[in-house]
Amino acid sequence: MGRGYYWLLMGLLLLVGCDSHPPAPSRAMAVANALGGESAGFARASGPRTFQFPADHGAHRDYRNEWWYLTGHLEDEAGGRYGFQITFFRIGLRPTPVRRSSAWATHEVWMGHLAISDGVDGHFYAFERFSRGAAELAGVQAAPFKVWIEDWQLAEQGDGQWRLQASAAGVAIDLLLRADKPVVLQGEGGLSQKSAEVGNASYYYSLPRMSAHGHLTTTAGGPHPVSGSGWLDREWSTSALAPDQQGWDWFSLQLEDGRELMYYRLRRHDGSVDPHSAGAIIDVDGQLHPLTPQDVQLEPEQFWESPQGGRYPVGWRMAVAPLGRVLRIAPLLPQQELDLTVRYWEGAVLATTLEGAPLAGRGYLEMTGYAP
Amino acid sequence: MRLLLRATRRELLRHAGQSTLAVLGIALGVAVVVAVALANESARRAFGLAMEEVTGAATHQVVAGPQGFPEQIYLQLRRAGLRDAAPVVEGYLTVAGEPLQLIGIDPFAETGVRRHTAQLGGETLRQLLLEPGAVVMAATTAERLALAPGDHFSATAAGVEQRLLLAGLIELEGRSAPGLEGLVFADIATAQELLQREGRLDRLDLVAPSAETLAAIAAQLPAGVGIQPAAAHAEENLALTRAFQTNLTAMSLLALVIGAFLIYNTATFSVLRRRALIGSLRLVGVSRRQIFVLVLGEAAILGALGALLGLGAGHLLGRLLVGLVTRTINDLYFVLTVTEFLPAPAPYLWGALLGVGVSVLAALPPAMEAARISPLEVRRRSSVELASRQRAGQRLALGLVALLVGWGLLALPGLVAGFGALFLILLGGALFAPLLLVGVGRIAVVPLGRGFGTIGRQAARGIAGGHSRSAVAVAALAVAISATVGVGVMVESFRSSVDAWLGERLQADLYLAAPGGLSASQSAPLLPEVVARAQALPEVTAMSFGRRVTVASSSGPVQLLALEPHPQRRPGFPLLAGDPERAWAAFNEGSGLLISEPLAQQGGLAVGDDLHLGRFAEGVTLPVVGIFREYGSNQGVVLLRLAHYRRLWGDEALSSTGLYLRPGADPAAVEQRLRAALADLPQRPFIRSTAAIRHTSMEVFDRTFLITRVLRLLAIVVAFVGVLSALMALALERAREHAVLRATGLTPAGLFGLVGLQTGLLGATAGVLALPLGLVMALILIEVINRRAFGWGMTLTLPWEVLGQALLLAVVAALLAGLWPAWRIARTPPALALREE
Repeated sequence: MGRGYYWLLMGLLLLVGCDSHPPAPSRAMAVANALGGESAGFARASGPRTFQFPADHGAHRDYRNEWWYLTGHLEDEAGGRYGFQITFFRIGLRPTPVRRSSAWATHEVWMGHLAISDGVDGHFYAFERFSRGAAELAGVQAAPFKVWIEDWQLAEQGDGQWRLQASAAGVAIDLLLRADKPVVLQGEGGLSQKSAEVGNASYYYSLPRMSAHGHLTTTAGGPHPVSGSGWLDREWSTSALAPDQQGWDWFSLQLEDGRELMYYRLRRHDGSVDPHSAGAIIDVDGQLHPLTPQDVQLEPEQFWESPQGGRYPVGWRMAVAPLGRVLRIAPLLPQQELDLTVRYWEGAVLATTLEGAPLAGRGYLEMTGYAP
Repeated sequence: MRLLLRATRRELLRHAGQSTLAVLGIALGVAVVVAVALANESARRAFGLAMEEVTGAATHQVVAGPQGFPEQIYLQLRRAGLRDAAPVVEGYLTVAGEPLQLIGIDPFAETGVRRHTAQLGGETLRQLLLEPGAVVMAATTAERLALAPGDHFSATAAGVEQRLLLAGLIELEGRSAPGLEGLVFADIATAQELLQREGRLDRLDLVAPSAETLAAIAAQLPAGVGIQPAAAHAEENLALTRAFQTNLTAMSLLALVIGAFLIYNTATFSVLRRRALIGSLRLVGVSRRQIFVLVLGEAAILGALGALLGLGAGHLLGRLLVGLVTRTINDLYFVLTVTEFLPAPAPYLWGALLGVGVSVLAALPPAMEAARISPLEVRRRSSVELASRQRAGQRLALGLVALLVGWGLLALPGLVAGFGALFLILLGGALFAPLLLVGVGRIAVVPLGRGFGTIGRQAARGIAGGHSRSAVAVAALAVAISATVGVGVMVESFRSSVDAWLGERLQADLYLAAPGGLSASQSAPLLPEVVARAQALPEVTAMSFGRRVTVASSSGPVQLLALEPHPQRRPGFPLLAGDPERAWAAFNEGSGLLISEPLAQQGGLAVGDDLHLGRFAEGVTLPVVGIFREYGSNQGVVLLRLAHYRRLWGDEALSSTGLYLRPGADPAAVEQRLRAALADLPQRPFIRSTAAIRHTSMEVFDRTFLITRVLRLLAIVVAFVGVLSALMALALERAREHAVLRATGLTPAGLFGLVGLQTGLLGATAGVLALPLGLVMALILIEVINRRAFGWGMTLTLPWEVLGQALLLAVVAALLAGLWPAWRIARTPPALALREE
């Protein structure tokens, strides 16, 4: 999925008109200001390409923005539910490096987000860090695959499994992940158009189901043994959204029947649904069936008021015609808002059928553009 | 009570001239004290604020020797999860001749450390990261350097001319903080490149690390790298300037002491003048206590008025002095930029209290005398003079006691005790003024009578007769003049010692140093190619090589001078202690350290003692084998042979090199050739002939003592006012006497001459008293104060011109001050004066 777009959108907004704002209270905001940056000189996602692995797990430095976005649900031995999200954002400041003698010299900045949703005692944790893509403080390599920001890292092990390790302020996650399905190319063969202009698109692939097991520590205790399932989204682009796009509601659900559902609804400033909204149903064997806005009906059912301002529709009624089912989507916790450099809601959700049948699926929902 | 108030008002108003001068004297004294306190305080606070900006919220710092530590230490710790730690690379830049501190930071690691850098964002941050040479600075600093964001400008860093870009201004809520003055921030990559410190860090700032974190970090640090509290560095630097600031404060107090003489003077006269009135007041039932309070109250009013004026004047003067104080600190200690005058309330409060307190204190003796006046004792002045002369014996005894106590105080350690002794001795000496005056008056009768007839004799007798008035003026003038003698002799001795020291030290014909080494505390490396090309010149027969770095030692931070001397010559470091043969043999082998006199003095080190060089476990412990004279730095200098330094610290850089030329070679011509030979290199090193270095050094010396000279001048101004006031009083007192003289045929010109002679005599007396006092003061300054404050010893030189000038100054000051009273007296029609009486 393409959650990182919100980041890009914010970057563009900051670049366009927010320089006159009063000084930001945090350094992070200030860092963010820098990162909207120039897109001149970077390549655009304007046509089909051939994907190659493991090379494409690594960086695409011709493009300005790139991310490794891993979310998932975990259960402890007592059946307690948890959600996790970790994102490694790469932001290119300049397409071509300049030769300099200091190892610290950099032309890319990395931002990391880590969030843990504790469904047992109702806590939501969110952390952010920045680093430079130099001096091995942050970076990515394709083979063996490894992406890291200081001590947060996702790295391939000798046995082909990936290991996620991240910790911050009393919270720690350490998981081994194995892909249950092959790589799925989203959009049209991996090209995902986000708005009308040619090049306002990303290259986008997913590993939609990865079995996970390991340990989770929260301030309430741990490490607890946990197991569950994760979803990796990979995207890179230089520009994507159009100025009239306000935000999105982005669903990624792993259904009990072995299929996955991904759908993002792009909202315009006037409240209407952008025709570039899109999604897909992924078959058990990894086959992709595209979804159009006409295929999906969304009704908000439950709201959560952010103490920072903004009202998020955290519970939904979702009718998906090709699926022949109506899903009721509820958050694991209502307050899964990441109050970081950019504020957005990203959290674990549970899906049931309208008839109240047992669990139909679980997944993640990202909502942007609701914070004032 | 009303009666007393009326008496006070009448007194202060009727003798408005006298009162004005007293007020002026205290005002000047308070002004100087306040100004110096403000200047010191401004410098101290600017330093504190700068340190706040530089260290931010850091509570601990990982630090190492002059070469810093490998960046991998930090990078590994960071990659292993260390948070709340900000790496720093720092050094100095020179922009348009002004030294600025360059601080290289990682903006992404700054969270919670430095507040201003945490605000960096937008295009500014982009440029800092992307543009080599991009820096930010405070708006006020940029304004001073006539720079605007986006401007390119040239700067010298690590001895190389660099092109920098002002990427933006650092501000907090739209305002730039005074602590940012003179600080330049850059991305850590840029700082490493500018300072040629790739791969190294100077510091790692830690914010409130837990005990486990500290232990975990410490476990990763190699020998020579350690953790210290963040305040330690600031404390080390502040301690360096403390002696200098104490000296300034003492000098300023001198001005106030002279002001106190004036108050004493005024109060004494008012008591003498109103003896009859006081007697009458006592008759109508006014108590002794009330009389006592009356006199003290008058002094307090004058003191308060003076203090008030002084605060205003001090505020203005302080603004001027800040620059001088800062410059001296820059020359002697470390780079400090103070452009903002930071007035704190304390100096004003202190100045006001001191002004009033000193005034009351000075009026204490006359107030006690006034209280002693009995209602019946309404006598003429002649009896007063008699009484005063009897008390002259008491004063003399008091003076002797002061001298003895002062002398005893010299034995106590510490700078404050030293200054205390100096003041006591000065005051004790000044108490001899009345005795001296009587003596001078008696002796002068004969020659003056011979030279000027009746007028001459009259003048001499007048001096001896009216000494209770004149003595105070003489004492005030003598103290002021002796201060100029003392300080003058000390500075001259210092100057000639420095000159002689430079002559011994500078043995080579030409010296090369990397540019940017402006302050004693910094030294940029010379490019190896520069050294190689200098060596290749045919006129160069031999070279000496030096590396100057600041290292930690068991006696605080010291400058380590690593030297490879001329192969055949002994380095120009004449030893004050230690056997030269053994000392230089130990220098060659690296088995001993030669240390500078200030280090020996301040560290309590003698030949044979061990000194550890380096922080933590790094470095070396060696015995002191010799002590040499050093005026280049009072921070303490340690001499070690270059080869041994390189072995111990792994630093191959050179700070300077000396070129020895073939006999007959013209240094100026070689200098030209060398400049041409180096023209295509990125570094433009300083090339100076020995003569030019001596010249520049003496310039710096004179600049350093400029503030001393300014204070000395102020003291003289206060004394001048004192003499003027004393003579005015004298003139008014004598109005009737003068009128009688006029009435009996003395011409106005003759009367003018009489008063002129008298004032000249007073001046000469002050001068005669000032000379021995001044010399004693010089000796104390040289042998006690300077040694204690800076550890500098020096050879006493007696500059005759300073002594002659002092005498001349005394007489001229007295004559000038007597001009107006004399003119007034001469002009007054005798009938009027007689009637008035």
